[in-house]
Amino acid sequence: MDLPNARSHRLRGCALASLAYLAATALSVWLLKDVIADAPTSLRAVVSLLPLVPIAYAIREVLRLVRANDELQRRIDLEALATAALVVGLACLSLGFLVSAQVFEIKGGTVLVWMFPALSITYLLARIRAQRHYR
Amino acid sequence: MNNRLRELRAAQQWSQAELAERLEVSRQTVNAIETGKYDPSLPLAFAIARLFGQPIEMIFDPDA
Repeated sequence: MDLPNARSHRLRGCALASLAYLAATALSVWLLKDVIADAPTSLRAVVSLLPLVPIAYAIREVLRLVRANDELQRRIDLEALATAALVVGLACLSLGFLVSAQVFEIKGGTVLVWMFPALSITYLLARIRAQRHYR
Repeated sequence: MNNRLRELRAAQQWSQAELAERLEVSRQTVNAIETGKYDPSLPLAFAIARLFGQPIEMIFDPDA
C-alpha cells in the first residue's frame, strides 16, 4: 500500500474506533446506571472498562499510521505529541493548583476520564498547526 | 539549507507526486524540501542523490 492510501486507511480505522468508543461509552453508562447498578463489583468493573476495547484498536491504528509515515510526517507527529503532552500537562497542573486552593472542586475520576480525549483533541489541533508549518 | 531539488526535478519533467513516489515519501515532504522548510535525513538525501545520479554536495548546499 502506498503512503497516501496507507494513511487514509488508518485514519478511517481511527474514525471508526472513535464512533465505536462513543457507542461503547453510552452502552457502559446505561448498563451501570440502569441494568447492573446492584451487580457485583467485578461485573461492574468489566462493564465500566468496555470503552477501552475500541480505544485499544484506535491506539493500534495510530501506531501503524506512525510506522507507515515518512520522516517529515513523523516529525510532525512528534511536534504534535510534544505540544499535546505539554498543553494537557499544564492544564492538569493548573487545575491541581486551583483545586488545592479550593477555588472549585473536581472529582479525580472526572479528570482521569477526560485525560485521553483531551490529549487526542489537543494532538489533532497541534498536528494541523504543524502540518501547515511545513506546507 | 539550500538545494537544487526543484531544478533537478524540473529537468526530469517529474511532478512533485512522481518524485515523491520514486523516493517513497509524501508529496508534502518533497514540497517542504524544495521550499527549504525541511532538511532531509542523511538516508533520504542519499536516496535523492542516487536518484539524480549526482553527489549530495551538488544537490544540497549547507553553507547557503
